[in-house]
Amino acid sequence: MSLVSGPGRGVASLPAETRLVVDKHVRYVQSLDTRKDELEYWLTEHLRLNGLYWGMTALHLLGHPDALPRKGILEFVFSCLHESGGFGAAPGHDAHMLYTCSAVQIIATLDAFDELEAHMQDGRRKIGQWIARLQDPETGTFAGDEWGEMDTRFLFNAFLSLSLMGLLDLVNVDKAVQHINSCANFDGAYGTSPGAESHSGQVYTCVGALTIAGRLDLVNQERLGAWLSERQLKNGGLNGRPEKTEDVCYSWWVMSSLAMINKLHWIDGEKLTAFILGCQDPDLGGLSDRPGDMVDVFHTHFGIAGLSLLKYPGLAEVDPV
Amino acid sequence: LSKHGITRAAGTAVRTEEARQQQLRDIDAYKELVDLITERQYTLEVLGLVTKLLKQNPEYYTIWNHRRRVLNALFSSDTADGSSKHGVNDLLQNDLQLTFALLRQYPKCYWIWNHRNWLLETAESQRGADMGHQLWSGELLLVNKMLGADSRNFHAWSYRRFVTAQIERLTPHTEGQASRSMTDSEFEYTSSMVKSNLSNFSAWHHRSKIIPRLLNERDADAEARRALLEFELALICEAINTDPFDQSIWFYHQYLMTTLSPNCPSQDRIVLDLSNGDRQQYYENEMRYIREILEDEEDCKWIYEGLLFLAGAYLEVDSGTKVFTTADMRSWLKHLKRLDPLRKGRWDELGQRLDL
Repeated sequence: MSLVSGPGRGVASLPAETRLVVDKHVRYVQSLDTRKDELEYWLTEHLRLNGLYWGMTALHLLGHPDALPRKGILEFVFSCLHESGGFGAAPGHDAHMLYTCSAVQIIATLDAFDELEAHMQDGRRKIGQWIARLQDPETGTFAGDEWGEMDTRFLFNAFLSLSLMGLLDLVNVDKAVQHINSCANFDGAYGTSPGAESHSGQVYTCVGALTIAGRLDLVNQERLGAWLSERQLKNGGLNGRPEKTEDVCYSWWVMSSLAMINKLHWIDGEKLTAFILGCQDPDLGGLSDRPGDMVDVFHTHFGIAGLSLLKYPGLAEVDPV
Repeated sequence: LSKHGITRAAGTAVRTEEARQQQLRDIDAYKELVDLITERQYTLEVLGLVTKLLKQNPEYYTIWNHRRRVLNALFSSDTADGSSKHGVNDLLQNDLQLTFALLRQYPKCYWIWNHRNWLLETAESQRGADMGHQLWSGELLLVNKMLGADSRNFHAWSYRRFVTAQIERLTPHTEGQASRSMTDSEFEYTSSMVKSNLSNFSAWHHRSKIIPRLLNERDADAEARRALLEFELALICEAINTDPFDQSIWFYHQYLMTTLSPNCPSQDRIVLDLSNGDRQQYYENEMRYIREILEDEEDCKWIYEGLLFLAGAYLEVDSGTKVFTTADMRSWLKHLKRLDPLRKGRWDELGQRLDL
């Protein structure tokens, strides 16, 4: 097909990328921590641990798990760990469920629980207990931190982290499951809290949590599958909810949810693949939310994860949850 | 780290050395500000520094936490020495103004909404229920503004639900139970929202959540329930006629249809005493109406999908109908596949399920 064009061209003249430029993406991820002379780097410090997880996972999916040094990764992760057992986004940042989850995911991926133990005695259990303390005994859902914001995202974070550490029994799973059920809408999808509108991100977190709890029987899979399939737009990309624009990160939230209920074939995988590939920056590497936009590690990770679900050749297999 | 909607061209200009040096200076200033805040005491001066930093970066959640620590310290020092609560009021007002301005700029930032929520809760615990009621009522105005700017902002809708619950909680018990509830006014709110814009999925969704509560609070009898259902059906059918290509409208139509199903849980039902004969009647009416629209609009996939959905529902209560034939269903399915090839996998399965 056509040659790759340089950056800076308008969207209309960008040709569709027909292959995944793996090496560029690897180098892109590797370059991220070197940009300390950009203000943007510091303005996003509150996402650093998430960013590390996204970058590292992308590399693993691309088949380059060693492109970032293991020791350096773990050093940084442990530097975010508080005495309380929670992790902050970066050293000096307060503990929060979002970063704790990323930390546990990183440690699990690198099979580094021994190293965790060496860093903090009884670390695994301490983290588990920090998470468990955030469950609201009345509603069963979880707060993000001591300040009390509740959201099904945190419920999923908790389930995922605890199950990766084999500590799910520290929390009231049934109560949490009941809460998720109360967040279900007539369209079969889920929101942030009871009464909230259906949103693909929340579908992922709610259905993911139900999968971990072994309670997919509570999902109206027919209706949910229908709602999720309607996320695909004519350009092949997926949106997050009705009447919204496409975004490559929904390649993950929507697709993984469809995978969990065995309805991946309800959307057009080929067109979605073409869309995701079109989100690449063929020169600098990385993926953006839609073709022609600026790349970032968040969209790079979710675009590649989406491709893995679509069984794009050469990628490591990803677990939908 | 996570950018949305920023074109690639915006970031690829090579930086001059001058620009790079300026960025390094900006970085130093930023880091210095962070250090000042995290090292200093819980004083008004630090509060000012926090404001400065948050205006630059409202996503810096740790600094929001710190702001609350400073405020808590200032609140308790103010009341500890027995002086007037004037200081507390000023501080609260100041933060309400700050968060209002920031929300207009960053309407989807979780941390700002969280802080505002905390402010209101703190204000109530500091100043009492009357002040609380006043402030929460004021929040409704904020939410109206935010939804006016973006009717799909789910943060605003979530906050709206929370705010109305607080207002209900704080309305004096001297008023009757019925007038304390905001369900009616919320129902009206969704009516006005969809009137001004039919394509408002968020408003339709909110409406679907209010209806069961509305019926319970009104203690609606069988007749009233049917009246409401018929009102909603008329409303949505008119909307479909106005714009058959709008998916939000079809979703709400489907919501109404799901309330008719024998499988619908009782708390979600609109009409409680439906016989299968009743169901058939409703399905027939809808099918007839939609088939009329089909005459003018042959290429709308929602219509075919709607008809197949109704056919499936109908067959569950009466397998021997003459209202439509298998040939009809096959034809609709064919059109659906033609008009919506993206979801071919789903339509194939639908055909199998309906034995077509």
